[in-house]
Amino acid sequence: MTTTARTGTGPSVLCVLDRAYRGAVEAQFFHALYGLLDLHGQFERMDVALRGAAVTLAVEEDTYRPSVRLGTMVLDTLPDYRGSVRDLVAEGFEVLVDRDAVRALGFAPERLVAGTTCLAPAELAVRWPRYDQVWFV
Amino acid sequence: MAGGMERRVWDLLLILTAAPHSGDVVTSALRLSQAVLDKGGSVRVWACGYATMMTQDTFGDTKPPNTRDPGGHYPSPSAIVRRMIADGRGRFGWIACTACTEERGATHHIPQVRHRSPLRLATTVVGARQTLYLGGA
Repeated sequence: MTTTARTGTGPSVLCVLDRAYRGAVEAQFFHALYGLLDLHGQFERMDVALRGAAVTLAVEEDTYRPSVRLGTMVLDTLPDYRGSVRDLVAEGFEVLVDRDAVRALGFAPERLVAGTTCLAPAELAVRWPRYDQVWFV
Repeated sequence: MAGGMERRVWDLLLILTAAPHSGDVVTSALRLSQAVLDKGGSVRVWACGYATMMTQDTFGDTKPPNTRDPGGHYPSPSAIVRRMIADGRGRFGWIACTACTEERGATHHIPQVRHRSPLRLATTVVGARQTLYLGGA
């Protein structure tokens, strides 16, 4: 795995993700989470807010390994979204997760990836002014 | 018609108009195809719109899994389609819509892909016992 040199010349950004599952075979080369891992070094700060069904990206899961068999091939290099959330946390992102969405989908906030922050929707919104820009990814 | 040419009838036609990056539709189409092949059936995919980009020979056979793992590799979409066609032994086919192909300049399909004008869409539908339209052009 590569790490990104931080130049930090860009604005501070909060990236809001609402869309959850974005494909597997078709999204191997790029998905939003590791795209942010690549780009964040260029910005003063970059954090992520997961809302709606996208909160499931941060629900911890230890046993499932994404793979699919097609013909005689087994593709086991498919996106690992919660692994990417772990990587975001490890690289210093604050990962904010909408608590109402977590509960509405039947998950306990305790099941979220360690290091993420579970917040009420209103608390999420009041954090927006801390950033120069809010992106809807 | 007496003495007319007998046309082959496929078990399933998947018309794939959704963009590969728009969601999980390509993964769904490939898994569905594999499930039909596993049951001994035959499947044909009609790739329209941006789905015509998947079978370009310019991809080569492999790509890095993502920008964070440049040393790894996974099969390119054209390699996946080529392998499924080979493994299907005549029971899996892939058609590229020529209008969408030309419009996108995506004219370098792997040779296993059949080129077909949209004027033959109805004929292709009639040539299948069932058609599923996976939309979102």
